Amino acid sequence: MEQNVLRGKAWVFTDDVDTDLIYHNKYLAETDPKKMAQYSFEYYPGKEKFAKEAKPGDFVVAGRNFGTGSSREHAVYCLKELGIPVVLAESFARIYYRNAINNGYPVLFVKGLSDAIKEGKIQDGDELEVNISTGEIKDLTNGHTFHGDAVTDLEKDIMASGGLIEYLKAQAAKK
Amino acid sequence: MGKTMIQKIIQRASGKEVQVGDRVWCRIDLSTARDFGGPNCVLQFDEVTDKGKVWDPDKIAFTFDLQAPAHAEKVANNQKIIRDFAKRQGITKVFDVNWGIGQHVLLENGLVKPGDVILGTDSHMNLLGGVGAFATGVGNTDIVASWINGTLWFRVPETMKITVSGTFAKGVCMRDFLTFLVGKLGADGMFFKAVEFYGETIEKSTLADRITLCSMVTEMSGKVGLIMPNGEVLDWLVKRAGMEVLDRVQTLKADPDAVYSDDLHFDVTGLEPMASCPDAPDNVKTVREAAGAHIDQVHIGSCSNGRFEDIAAAFEVLKAANFQISDSVRTIITPSTREVMKQCAEAGFIQKFLEAGVIFTNPTCSLCTAEHYGVLPGGDVGVSTTNRNFIGKVGKGSHTYLVSPMTAMASAVKGVLTDPRDILK
Amino acid sequence: MGMTFAEKVLGKAAGYAVKAGDVVTVEPHFCMSHDNAAPIAKTFRKIGVPKVWKPDHLVFILDHAIPAPTDEHAVNHKEIREFVEEQGIPHFYDVTSKGGVCHQKMCEEGFALPGLIIIGSDSHTCTYGAYGAFSTGIGRSEMAAAWATGKIWFRVPESLKITVKGKFNKGVSAKDLILKIIGDIKADGADYMSVEFHGPAISEMTLAERMTLCNMGIEMGAKNAVCPPDQKVLDAIRGIEKTNEWEAIWADEDAVYAKELTYDLGELVPCVAKPHTVDNYAPIEEVKGTKIHQAFLGSCTNARIEDLRLAADILKGKEVAVRTIVIPASWRVYRQALDEGLLEIFLDAGCVITNPGCGPCMGNHEGILAPGEACISTANRNFKGRMGNKDSFIYLASPMTVAASALKGEIADPREVL
Repeated sequence: MEQNVLRGKAWVFTDDVDTDLIYHNKYLAETDPKKMAQYSFEYYPGKEKFAKEAKPGDFVVAGRNFGTGSSREHAVYCLKELGIPVVLAESFARIYYRNAINNGYPVLFVKGLSDAIKEGKIQDGDELEVNISTGEIKDLTNGHTFHGDAVTDLEKDIMASGGLIEYLKAQAAKK
Repeated sequence: MGKTMIQKIIQRASGKEVQVGDRVWCRIDLSTARDFGGPNCVLQFDEVTDKGKVWDPDKIAFTFDLQAPAHAEKVANNQKIIRDFAKRQGITKVFDVNWGIGQHVLLENGLVKPGDVILGTDSHMNLLGGVGAFATGVGNTDIVASWINGTLWFRVPETMKITVSGTFAKGVCMRDFLTFLVGKLGADGMFFKAVEFYGETIEKSTLADRITLCSMVTEMSGKVGLIMPNGEVLDWLVKRAGMEVLDRVQTLKADPDAVYSDDLHFDVTGLEPMASCPDAPDNVKTVREAAGAHIDQVHIGSCSNGRFEDIAAAFEVLKAANFQISDSVRTIITPSTREVMKQCAEAGFIQKFLEAGVIFTNPTCSLCTAEHYGVLPGGDVGVSTTNRNFIGKVGKGSHTYLVSPMTAMASAVKGVLTDPRDILK
Repeated sequence: MGMTFAEKVLGKAAGYAVKAGDVVTVEPHFCMSHDNAAPIAKTFRKIGVPKVWKPDHLVFILDHAIPAPTDEHAVNHKEIREFVEEQGIPHFYDVTSKGGVCHQKMCEEGFALPGLIIIGSDSHTCTYGAYGAFSTGIGRSEMAAAWATGKIWFRVPESLKITVKGKFNKGVSAKDLILKIIGDIKADGADYMSVEFHGPAISEMTLAERMTLCNMGIEMGAKNAVCPPDQKVLDAIRGIEKTNEWEAIWADEDAVYAKELTYDLGELVPCVAKPHTVDNYAPIEEVKGTKIHQAFLGSCTNARIEDLRLAADILKGKEVAVRTIVIPASWRVYRQALDEGLLEIFLDAGCVITNPGCGPCMGNHEGILAPGEACISTANRNFKGRMGNKDSFIYLASPMTVAASALKGEIADPREVL
């Protein structure tokens, strides 16, 4: 299997998943990203045990406006540290999107995902195959396929460097 | 071709001509952090720069408002991390636990001008668009990057134009229009866009109202809501931030032929009190429709509605009810800043609130989190004037209605969700 | 032979004459609990008795962390509300502006009355001795048992008589007196004893000052502390008595004491209790100049209107140099401070004024210290880590000393700013 093709279980979420549901405000005082993983989705009804049950390589699959709400970067760190390799969503809230880019954390914009989730075309536990470079997504459990768009423009360059700080360092080195 | 406000702001900050969709590096006028997010920034900055120097200590500010004062060791420690860093770097703009909610403190201290590019570790920084500043909430990496170079990249957003006319009926206010808008446009209705507000309703509005209106642009996924100051608001701002404000108002207002992605018109005549019902800001109903709902706690304040005018509006409702509140509901008021608290004391409000059984706290952001004042236990229902009400936000398993200060106080009076017009007759 | 206050009160309750060392079982007049009413209720339920013996003998006052600052506290408060409703407990001070620190409320609301036996699930219940009550702190299990049975046993304590004369010099106050006493006899100097305050200086003192003295009785190990139920007390309680079972009881002239001490107020200087024990007394000269990071004016020990006035006098027209947290002992005090313009003085000086409650006193709420930080406080305990971090330092002092120190940013002698 190529490097860019990932396989894992789907964890499916609704539209408008707010940052308090991803990483609750009561843990904002935590400053060590490694310690943030354990609080992932603790407040999301039905998925409170996510941090314990999700395995590295599993996917977070969501509808529109994932990560709406707070600018806390904790909401990106916790998933990254837990080993979720990429977040697949119809769309991302702008600050969450920015924070993901800044950490070189892959996000894919998957058109039609919100409806697909509502229609049950992708469900909790489905085995997914995701090609990060082409954006091809296959639900191996039921055969449905989706296509995700990676980021473009400056965001792509920042991602390629591994994050904003790394990008800035690389730029400075060039001069 | 004409430029929108955000284009002009970004042009000023980047020194480049910009089109919608461009990614540009902008000079930051003020990079701020709170006691939440702040320590993360400090630790990351020290690690990444090997305890280097910030680009300009005068352009950085810290405000302590989440746990003011701290009630948890970790937070006390975090606040100290920030204080120590500020000392080391020669950063003097440190607004400690005795000031209040960050954006409001910065505004009162003359640190915000129209067209300023301001960063903060809170998603409601952008309410400063209410005075025409391009303020935005970002994560700690963005803040750290700005501390290194004094710049940050932005995508030039489209702009949505919203024109508002009409006068609010008694018992109805800007917060109700905001709630209506959130319900109408939905959680991603302003997706990544800047918004400019115009119209007689806006032009006549107070500073407090403009801040309120811009305080839930984030909840509609917008980048920033912008209102160029005029009239009394302009006078106030010039007094606080200086004469340059006048220049900015002239040079940064949108061109008459600016191009907008949307052009919406609303008339607030006939608008009713509105509520964002559990469990999402865009789950909007009229208060009339939702009235009678059981509630356990009322909390008035926050960056959305914690200014003197907001508390005064709540006071009027309480007064109309002969200063009697329901025994079955805990009622708390949290002013946005120390200045507002003093104003409330001088106006004689605090006395009357206390007599009636209402608790008046010191200024803090607390009422928006499950940390500090007024955490709700599971199953409890709160009514508040904050700006997000996802399930469990202020306590695991709790639910919240978001309303105007008048509706909140009316609900405190009756002990259930109540239309303020029933009391203000 | 004459009897001490403790012998008389406990004897009256027992129904027969008792002397120190006897064990009696009595019915308490009031049982006070604060936020810990929730765990006590849990224990109570385990006992298996469905109803508390007399609901109107229980007083619940939420004060340790109000409004609730965490999920755990919020759930706690909810459980208390449910218990109150279930048991029909009429005396419940919830998170409203009728509340405040429990000991302050007990005195303001007419529960603290001469001759009553009052137990509380908080060690500073001894405060009500200022109103002539026999009041003492007990543990949670004992409290649950008292709710169930309506009885509590006591070993009649020996008594320590402290006679106080003279007048305070400028800058010196009741807190300095009690810190000196505790410094002299040490944390166990009055172990399991009833401390009686006598003398002309006590009669001169306001009730607020007497509360400060009695409040810290426990810090010398006392079972209870008490002042004479004189005219000042009678005037204070008139019209607000929550029961008419009270009686002004005082020790006989010829009572026998295990120990007797005398103090002359004129010999006292402003002082502190240095970290990390309450009996670690030091006169102000010794600690002047020590850097502080926070000043705390609050707690059941010293946050009454009289204390706030003293601090406001010092801070008027000036600005504090450090984080200064002012927490009036109750909403009634808060309002009085507002009326008198004191809060504006504090706000102008840059203080944080938060809602009445226990605040940072036990590291629960509003004003926790970070590592390496030092705080000067008007509270009653300074054990290692009490106010937040184990690596922090607490100096106990009077309101004047705390205010003067807040101005300077270091421990300061109030006499220099008065």
